[in-house]
Amino acid sequence: MAKILEGPAMKLFNKWGMPVPNYVVVMDPNRLEQLGEANKWLRESKLVVKAHEAIGGRFKLGLVKLGLNLEQAVEAANAMIGREIGTAVVRQVIIAEMLDHDEEYYISIAGNRDGAELLLSTKGGVDIEDNWDTVKRLFIPLDETPSIERITEAALEAGFVGEIAERVAKIASRLILCFDNEDAQSIEINPLVIRKSDMRFAALDAVMNVDWDARFRHPDWDFKPVSEIGRPFTEAEQQIMEIDARIKGSVKLVEVPGGNIALLTAGGGASVFYSDAVVARGGSIANYAEYSGDPPDWAVEALTETICRLPDIKHIIVGGAIANFTDVKATFNGIINGFRESKSKGFLENVKIWVRRGGPNENQGLASMKKLQEEGFDIHVYDRSMPMTDIVDLAMNS
Amino acid sequence: MSILANRDTRAVIIGGVAGVNAARRMAQFDFLINRPLTVEAFVYPPEEGQQKEIYRGGELNNVTVYASLQKALDENPLINTALIYIGASRAYQSAKEALDSKGIKLVTMITEGVPEKDAKRLRKYALEKGKIFNGPSSIGIMSAGECRLGVIGGEYKNLKLCNLYRPGSFGVITKSGGLSNEAMWLCAQNGNGITSAVAIGGDSYPGTDFVTYLQMFENDPETKAVVIVGEVGGTLEEEAAEWLGAEQRRIKVIAAIGGTCQDVLPQGMKFGHAGAKEGKKGLGSARSKINALREAGAYVPDTFGGLSKAIKQVYQELQATGVIKPEPEIDEKVLPELPPSVQEIMKQGEVIVEPLIRTTISDDRGEEPRYVGYAASELCEKGYGIEDVIALLWNKKLPSREESEIIKRIIMISADHGPAVSGAFGAIIAACAGIDLPQAVSAGMTMIGPRFGGAVTNAGKYFKYGVKEYPNDIPGFLSWMKQNHGPVPGIGHRVKSLKNPDKRVKYLVEYVKNQTTLHTPCLDYALEVEKITTSKKDNLILNVDGTIGCILVDLDFPEYSLNGFFVLARTIGMIGHWIDQNNQNARLIRLYDYLINYAVKEEREVPEKK
Repeated sequence: MAKILEGPAMKLFNKWGMPVPNYVVVMDPNRLEQLGEANKWLRESKLVVKAHEAIGGRFKLGLVKLGLNLEQAVEAANAMIGREIGTAVVRQVIIAEMLDHDEEYYISIAGNRDGAELLLSTKGGVDIEDNWDTVKRLFIPLDETPSIERITEAALEAGFVGEIAERVAKIASRLILCFDNEDAQSIEINPLVIRKSDMRFAALDAVMNVDWDARFRHPDWDFKPVSEIGRPFTEAEQQIMEIDARIKGSVKLVEVPGGNIALLTAGGGASVFYSDAVVARGGSIANYAEYSGDPPDWAVEALTETICRLPDIKHIIVGGAIANFTDVKATFNGIINGFRESKSKGFLENVKIWVRRGGPNENQGLASMKKLQEEGFDIHVYDRSMPMTDIVDLAMNS
Repeated sequence: MSILANRDTRAVIIGGVAGVNAARRMAQFDFLINRPLTVEAFVYPPEEGQQKEIYRGGELNNVTVYASLQKALDENPLINTALIYIGASRAYQSAKEALDSKGIKLVTMITEGVPEKDAKRLRKYALEKGKIFNGPSSIGIMSAGECRLGVIGGEYKNLKLCNLYRPGSFGVITKSGGLSNEAMWLCAQNGNGITSAVAIGGDSYPGTDFVTYLQMFENDPETKAVVIVGEVGGTLEEEAAEWLGAEQRRIKVIAAIGGTCQDVLPQGMKFGHAGAKEGKKGLGSARSKINALREAGAYVPDTFGGLSKAIKQVYQELQATGVIKPEPEIDEKVLPELPPSVQEIMKQGEVIVEPLIRTTISDDRGEEPRYVGYAASELCEKGYGIEDVIALLWNKKLPSREESEIIKRIIMISADHGPAVSGAFGAIIAACAGIDLPQAVSAGMTMIGPRFGGAVTNAGKYFKYGVKEYPNDIPGFLSWMKQNHGPVPGIGHRVKSLKNPDKRVKYLVEYVKNQTTLHTPCLDYALEVEKITTSKKDNLILNVDGTIGCILVDLDFPEYSLNGFFVLARTIGMIGHWIDQNNQNARLIRLYDYLINYAVKEEREVPEKK
């Protein structure tokens, strides 16, 4: 799942013939004045300025300003750029034409196992959740394109009338094309607005997710996906992502501020069960982490050091299932080195470490982990006979 | 009994190195249960025609790599299963081709990072064809005592620990690959092991689902209970619950669902597999899956750790009701051990191998090379030079400071002798012909022989002979040489003579005799010989080869090593010439006609061939 920002989404809409308002993305507000000289709409329309970043709740943070003229827009852009929100910095703003409109519609498409589902409603805008029962659904089987008649029919059933129904159907058919050809996972346009005087439509706001695994067949994708975790990535997370991109196998990290149980767990499935176990026992995790696919020891070492630096942690859970082909001895060597390095830097004081693992070379790996006791680590090592997540219980009862 | 894979399964692996590694793991299982090799062919166009070495225990098999699936199937008609290991961008095409092949009933895809749409299409295509498409991102399929597809089950030792050499009573279906192995272990630890285990992969749209396999297990009389490991996202677990609750089922279902932690995580924060994404309005949440499964009658513990207990409980119930009948355990001792590699046995000191070669000078098995025991870096640190390394590697002893100074001078003096001599000229011609450094230098090197630079060894050898056999009888030595060998090697020069002495010889002799305390019987003997020969002819002087040869004998280098000094020294010069020609971008050399005397036959007609 890869959410993309509005700018790239608008560009893809444009490519597939969907109506978008005029817009520009700028990093330098002064550039906006020059753009105003070249673009009539910037001088003559009411404008909306939004921070072009993956920051949730932009409206409340004052990162969306409506109904501005060009001068005010430059001012708003100046105020936004450089603002720091948590770990994120606003670097870009998107300035779009605020189309005076008569009605707001809702149109979206989302993939499912058998194809996709098109959703249409005449009651778009902020209240769509309250009007969810007005949504008309049209199932689109995989690799099939519904006829324009079929879509028009659905639009009519959704309550669109006359020419508007036909125009909405046409927009929907292009949305389907865009969805299909761009390996999208979902596209939600809310609102799709209409100015009836000249029958002009525009997608005023949109959320688009594309399948990042399909990027090999989209050489024109010049954007990067935004964070999938509901906030921008922290520096530590970005460092781990950079390592992840370079290695065989993978290492992953998500920080969860406020928790006191750190996870240093293996495998995409098992790691989630470990966080579940912490939560089920009333604990709070300080992070989510995962390494898998037999990553090199230095990558696991880097992940370990990052986790040891998490603030206020009481326990580290070095958990994992019985690996199929990840070498326990080699990956544990990385973890051991990470622990040693962290301890020498003054971390891991009063931190208890709990280990459970199996897999290739498990005996050697567990034995060297156990040896850390001799170096003064508060470490508790268990083999496959310990039920996988029970070390969480042991940690929390200790 | 089993589902999906059994003793009749024969597989083709589509993909490169990861596929070959998997085939090796699969062959370990084949060996454990004594079945024929599961993998019969590879398809990987870049390596067409290669044979891959696959060991089934100690038995070496060669498995062919084909350029096309069709060719592989034509030559291996028993193949009924395809494993896809090839990269994500080609995985769709490969899997589709496999589904199109008549004999192939099951396609399982190990490849990760496959686009969702591709997976959706393959699922649909397989359904239309009445075949199974398992994966993507599946670690594989295991049928205990029958067949292993992929690396599922891990290392050999684990196959035994999980009782995978014989069927048990539990089925396993997981999304995660790591947890499939864990679940198999839990079934062995707390029950009697598995019939089959399938990993369906953690992607958003796997090619199959829990229900498909639950139904297969329901139809397999040996399977009495099924452990499923699911997670947040999608609706496959809800569908499994629906299936379970729809009617009375023969099999018991035990489930663990991952992702309950997402209830308390900051909004929007998600992690785990690609498919582990909660839908709108809580659809597909771990909690809703757990509730649905519990309502349908499945055993769902609170944490994954609770699975052990649940499996044990179900196992005991099934035993108590007689559904699972006690069977004699196989003594693990009768199971074969994987033959160890030679290295492993040697480590344990249980085998003697006659070495193929022997070395007495150098060893790089440690952290750094050691020359006759001395670490290279320590030699550097303690101020030794290349001349000491030469003495160590050629004569196995560290020379004294005086001796190494002599060696250094011998190398310096012999490093080059201008472009005209055959060695340098050979290297230059090669450089001009665009030949690379090592080959061009070897071209020059091939010139070293009896007429060029190759006299050092023989000079040293015969003067040493003279010292020993004719110590005070130089005329005797000369006549012995004349009778048995010919001219004395190391004596005579084309241009130099008594009046026009070779400066190098003069310098070396003076240096060795006046500036060092080296005892020089051989050099002295040669100088005496020179006195006699020059009295006969002015140019029969002790030349540089002879001088060096004698000094090296006096330095106690073995006779047969002496030419090495010339070879080593002149290599420096030849490399220099090669670099020089390349720097100048020298052009190809062709001899002018006037430099050749064409002493050939007149032009004439070729006679008819008889």
